[in-house]
Amino acid sequence: SIVSTVKEDALGEREVSELAEDLYLDLVESDVAVDVADALISALKAKLVGAKVPRFGDREAAVRRAVYDALLSLVGDVQDADFESAVIEAAEQARPVVVMFLGPNGYGKTTTLAKIAYLFKSRGLQSVLAAADTFRAGAREQLEEHGKRLGLRVIGGKYGSDPASVAYDAVQHARSKGIPLVLIDTAGRMHTDKNLMDELAKIQRVVEPHFSVFVFDAQLGNEALEIARYYSKHVSIDGMVATKVDSYPKGGSILTFLYTFKKPIYFLGVGQRYEDLVKFKKEEYIAQLIGLQPGGR
Amino acid sequence: MRPLTELFSKLVEKIRGVEYIDEQTLQEISRELQRSLLKADVPLDMVRAFTDTAVRRIREERPPPGIPVKDFVIYVIYQELVKLLGGEAEPDLKLPKRPYVIMLLGVEGSGKTTTAAKIALFYIKRGLKVGVVETDTIRPAAYDQLKQLAERVGARFYGERDGNDAVGIARRGLEQMKGVDLVLVDTAGRHKNEQSLLEEVKAIYDAIKPDEVMLVVDATVGRQAAAQAEAFMKYVPIHSVAITKMDSTARGGGALAAVAKTGARVKFIGVGEGVDEIEPFSPRKFVARVLGM
Ligand SMILES: Nc1nc2c(ncn2[C@@H]2O[C@H](COP(=O)(O)OP(=O)(O)OP(=O)(O)O)[C@@H](O)[C@H]2O)c(=O)[nH]1
Ligand SMILES: Nc1nc2c(ncn2[C@@H]2O[C@H](COP(=O)(O)OP(=O)(O)OP(=O)(O)O)[C@@H](O)[C@H]2O)c(=O)[nH]1
Ligand SMILES: [K+]
Ligand SMILES: [Mg+2]
Ligand SMILES: [Mg+2]
Repeated sequence: SIVSTVKEDALGEREVSELAEDLYLDLVESDVAVDVADALISALKAKLVGAKVPRFGDREAAVRRAVYDALLSLVGDVQDADFESAVIEAAEQARPVVVMFLGPNGYGKTTTLAKIAYLFKSRGLQSVLAAADTFRAGAREQLEEHGKRLGLRVIGGKYGSDPASVAYDAVQHARSKGIPLVLIDTAGRMHTDKNLMDELAKIQRVVEPHFSVFVFDAQLGNEALEIARYYSKHVSIDGMVATKVDSYPKGGSILTFLYTFKKPIYFLGVGQRYEDLVKFKKEEYIAQLIGLQPGGR
Repeated sequence: MRPLTELFSKLVEKIRGVEYIDEQTLQEISRELQRSLLKADVPLDMVRAFTDTAVRRIREERPPPGIPVKDFVIYVIYQELVKLLGGEAEPDLKLPKRPYVIMLLGVEGSGKTTTAAKIALFYIKRGLKVGVVETDTIRPAAYDQLKQLAERVGARFYGERDGNDAVGIARRGLEQMKGVDLVLVDTAGRHKNEQSLLEEVKAIYDAIKPDEVMLVVDATVGRQAAAQAEAFMKYVPIHSVAITKMDSTARGGGALAAVAKTGARVKFIGVGEGVDEIEPFSPRKFVARVLGM
């Protein structure tokens, strides 16, 4: 436990060191990337030395709260964003608003896109879905099935055709029909594949999305940091969605991405149904990560 | 990422000319090693067990003559990791009977469907008749995905486009595969908190009694890889493992822990999206990667 060594009222340097070591291991064991945990812990140490904690009473909770405050302030420059309002606002200025989904293979782009289409549809905003994954087997049929279930138009192209032109066609279609939203599905791509990363950048150049949403699996380990490094080198990212959080609410990769991308996480995917999308709250996540009851402050 | 050998070269510099490694050096070695393994996603308890064993052996054993200390340290760790993978021997990929039925199992998006097609092609290239069965009724167009892949690799396919009875599809699928040497039964993705899906896969297993259950693990997943394996094992046995997305830079410690947990042998690794991007597993290569070499 991270508090067993605490004996004094104001946290001294030595005990902060011990505390920090325990917290470091907690973070790493929750899959926060090692280099990120290092950076966080050294910043945390500086903040924690001298922090006041009661000698008696619920000392453990007090220490956790100090850690919580310190950790939260370290990702404080990344504001939680209200994606829904931002899109609705943008739709008043520009039609269509273009949202593009991107990320490595199998992390949940297509499903997340469908969830977001469902969300906006229930708010009265229709979408055109662009099947710009012209690569993976069944990708187009997967999006078409979502379109059918949601009652939304899907624009696709032949397998092997240029994804940028599919995306462009979808934007044109939305523009001509006055449909407010275009959601672009792209093929999963490994960050190590330079050609595929260039292709992604090309789609961004061609359709200039208002929002490029990076989708990642909350279960990722240290690779999250590498992914963040490669992706931020090649493409622009406005915000993120973490998926499969229903499997791993503590997922440390969420902190890794927050800390390295410094972009808001719009939503968490918490299941396979359309409704399984919840707004991300930094406070709740950090509280969970360090074992503080959400709202227990 | 600095390779482990490089990390150690610094330490070895320090101890050159010294008769024995002192405690402080040993502690430093142990810390560097721990950090490196944590970066590879090896869970903490395993990391501790390894480094404790390594430190103890270095303290007690002498490196074989001519072997530098740094190599000895790595060798000890290497040996311990290989043990977890069931030894240095390459996996046995021969099919013990015909038809042989493999059911694939794994978390959402781990690569099951792709791996099914890759394994199909692997054996088709070796002259076998292979069939694939899609029992995923959850993910939209799972049917189309495997059907398209089956056409690409030349495997027989069975699925039901709008079916919702995975157990029935599995059963009917196997009936359609008479004369086939190998059948790969693909299943929907599921994870440790999806109770009804876990029960579903058990029902499929009970209905078709596959010869082998293969766990498909995404190499980029961290500590959850082992947690998922552990949860699955409560429902079905796990006989083998395929590790996917090894074309990433992930070092595979999460997958390693999953393998250790199941006691199953790794058979294949996936190194790309293409149907031919699959390799038989090499324990040596894999451990070297986990160690960052
Ligand atoms: N449990 C759970 N499953 C999810 C979630 N999000 C996505 N999935 C599942 O993850 C799998 C992969 O999702 P996709 O949306 O196809 O992923 P993708 O990133 O589009 O995959 P590629 O296009 O192949 O790169 C599917 O089985 C989804 O149902 C989530 O939040 N929770
Ligand atoms: N780069 C890379 N991508 C892979 C590899 N194996 C699978 N993929 C990709 O990962 C994504 C998910 O693969 P699928 O085969 O659909 O995964 P799945 O486990 O069947 O997914 P669900 O059925 O939704 O649970 C797809 O985009 C695949 O092309 C691999 O070894 N390397
Ligand atoms: K791709
Ligand atoms: Mg997709
Ligand atoms: Mg599948």
